[in-house]
Amino acid sequence: MPEIRKADQRLAVGGWAVHVPGLAATDLPGSPAEPACLPVDAKDVLGRKGLLGKEPSTRLALCAVHRVLGLPPGKLAEPLPYAPGTAVVVASNLGNVETVCTVLDDMRERGGTAVSPMDAPNASSNVIASSLAIRYGFNGPNLAVCSGATAGLDAVRLARLLILGGRAERAVVVGVEPADPIARGLAALRPGSPGELIAGAGVVLLGLPGAWPWDTGIECGPVVRHGASRPAVTPPLADALVGEFYGAAGVVRLAAAAATIAAAPTTEAAADAANSARYTVSCGDADDGWLTVDVSAAADRAASGETAGAAARTAVSAGAAS
Amino acid sequence: MAITGSSMVSCLGDLDATFDALVAGRSGASPLRLGDPAKLNVTHGYSIDADTERSYRAGAVKSAVGVASTHSAAGAAGTAGTVSTVSTADACDADGAYGIGEDVRLAGRWVATAIAKALAESGVDPDTSRVSVIVGTGLRELRAVEQWHGDAAALRLAQLHFNEAVRSVAPGVTEVHTLANACAASGYALALAADLLDLGEADAVVVAGCDTMTESMLTMIGRVGTTTAETVRPFDADRDGVLLGEGAVAVVLELPTDKPAFGLIRGVGIGCDAYHETAPDPDGIVATMHDAHQRAGIAPGDIDLIVAHGTATALNDPTEATALHQVFGGLPADQAPAVTAIKGAIGHTSGGAALMSVLVACQTMRTGTVPPVTGLRTAIAEAEKLAMVCGAPLAIRPRLAQINAFGFGGVNAVTIVEAVDA
Repeated sequence: MPEIRKADQRLAVGGWAVHVPGLAATDLPGSPAEPACLPVDAKDVLGRKGLLGKEPSTRLALCAVHRVLGLPPGKLAEPLPYAPGTAVVVASNLGNVETVCTVLDDMRERGGTAVSPMDAPNASSNVIASSLAIRYGFNGPNLAVCSGATAGLDAVRLARLLILGGRAERAVVVGVEPADPIARGLAALRPGSPGELIAGAGVVLLGLPGAWPWDTGIECGPVVRHGASRPAVTPPLADALVGEFYGAAGVVRLAAAAATIAAAPTTEAAADAANSARYTVSCGDADDGWLTVDVSAAADRAASGETAGAAARTAVSAGAAS
Repeated sequence: MAITGSSMVSCLGDLDATFDALVAGRSGASPLRLGDPAKLNVTHGYSIDADTERSYRAGAVKSAVGVASTHSAAGAAGTAGTVSTVSTADACDADGAYGIGEDVRLAGRWVATAIAKALAESGVDPDTSRVSVIVGTGLRELRAVEQWHGDAAALRLAQLHFNEAVRSVAPGVTEVHTLANACAASGYALALAADLLDLGEADAVVVAGCDTMTESMLTMIGRVGTTTAETVRPFDADRDGVLLGEGAVAVVLELPTDKPAFGLIRGVGIGCDAYHETAPDPDGIVATMHDAHQRAGIAPGDIDLIVAHGTATALNDPTEATALHQVFGGLPADQAPAVTAIKGAIGHTSGGAALMSVLVACQTMRTGTVPPVTGLRTAIAEAEKLAMVCGAPLAIRPRLAQINAFGFGGVNAVTIVEAVDA
């Protein structure tokens, strides 16, 4: 087998999910069949326990991860066999800004004793990533990426680094932002007209081939950095019509693209088309620059004639990538 | 990996000033300059005052015009000659660094200066080589968000992270990552930097850390704490908890060559307890120490010096001491590594804490003087069997040092540093 430069190595996408409250798969690929629940109803996906004091962003991230792992509501019945050493990389900029501002207001108006100690973990910007680690037992490297509009694909880039650098075989990569009044006010301070911020989470499971239990036949390449001008992406994804995900955008779009390729029809001609389909996904803005990554059916899958869609649907029926 | 440039600022000043205070056992704590102490239930902190900030940022102008850096005579200062293409002018512009008034307190100003100085010292030119930047931070620019929300200050969203701050002094860098990994952030950043160099994805990596205080985090410290400490006393039986520190730090990492280096990063272990949002877990800490030792290719007996995380909280210190005893307790007494900690002098500098401890370890190796644990009088029972440096400095010349950093969410980073013969 010819040696592939690590910088060019493609990673397996072991699963994906999108959780944007109110949206279903027909609105945004990767979403659940029925419209995704609000953060306040996260118990529908996660069960009742363990949600006390969790911010909306943490709840959305937990919902997306719970679904991508194909788990029933409730706490884990037994430890996940693939959890030890698994890395968690979360992209989010606005997850805790409402907590920070509420704590500030309450302290200034009524003194610090008016503030709930339950909010202490939320004052730390890595609370989403650590909450995922604690709930599922992912004790590998745990990163909170807060680099603005590029955060989603920066997270993919750093997950690749952890995997190719030998620190983890697999990584749970999440992008999530809330849309509370503070977050929306801050999002309005962006350049241009980015569109209205909406709450949502996306997740992709990245790893070396075989690192995740589910072989979806989909893979993604290295993250490419562009300058301040928006790169052309083909084909365009429908999420621009849905709303603006800011730091979550890169992961939400990557998940949606993987879902789109996996859902391709199974007739032979259409399958050929699907197997050659390669989506380029972008995120960024004029302030932070732009990043892209491509996602496609695995090359060996295209050669063997098996469709990525068929493999992914097998995985779906097994409970993953739902 | 070689540290070919470095710079830091704490409440006590640059690395030399900070190290001198550490050796003297002097605390940099002062009455809180931010918020209402009565409402916060916190009276003291380790903040950077206007004079310290002015003199630190003014220092960058010197290196920007090619004069040998004034920083760190014990380091690689000045050895880069007059090579300096880093434009520090913007960072030192007292008015409106990247378009925001001085009334808004930005860690980005300090970290920009630290990065400019570190790059100038290393002679690395981001316009001609591939330079990645990773900034570790606990609180990002959430102070600016507070001032925007509560005090009607101006803000643009891109100022919540550090891309603009870094590019104000080093526009040619290939990428800028903001990593909000709590109090282990710059240790995590070091680990990722080592991987970038290992994989050949960068010619040099700038690793940085920075934090300001925020009223919201002070509120939380006052809320969950039980007393009002006036100084931080790591590992002390009568410790009163942690106080926040401000500051910024940056190092330039490159693969080792014949270029002068301040110290060598032998390996960095990172992990997550996956145990509790705020409480540390000895098993996770021990696992991360073993990971670091394995990556560095060393055994516990090889370590001469430990710069502990030592926050003086009820939970951290006994947990850390227990973990250290578990890893190092089997060694004969004459081989037990000396243990020190820096937060009694400069407070908990959060995102920058790991990297500041790395620089203090390097300075210790250079000078042959281990600073005592500032604030420590009577060690907790868990630390009695450790070789805590207490009361007076210890004259040894360590070859290998271990630096601990643990954060909220159970994120752990342990760095192994090797001395460079001066």
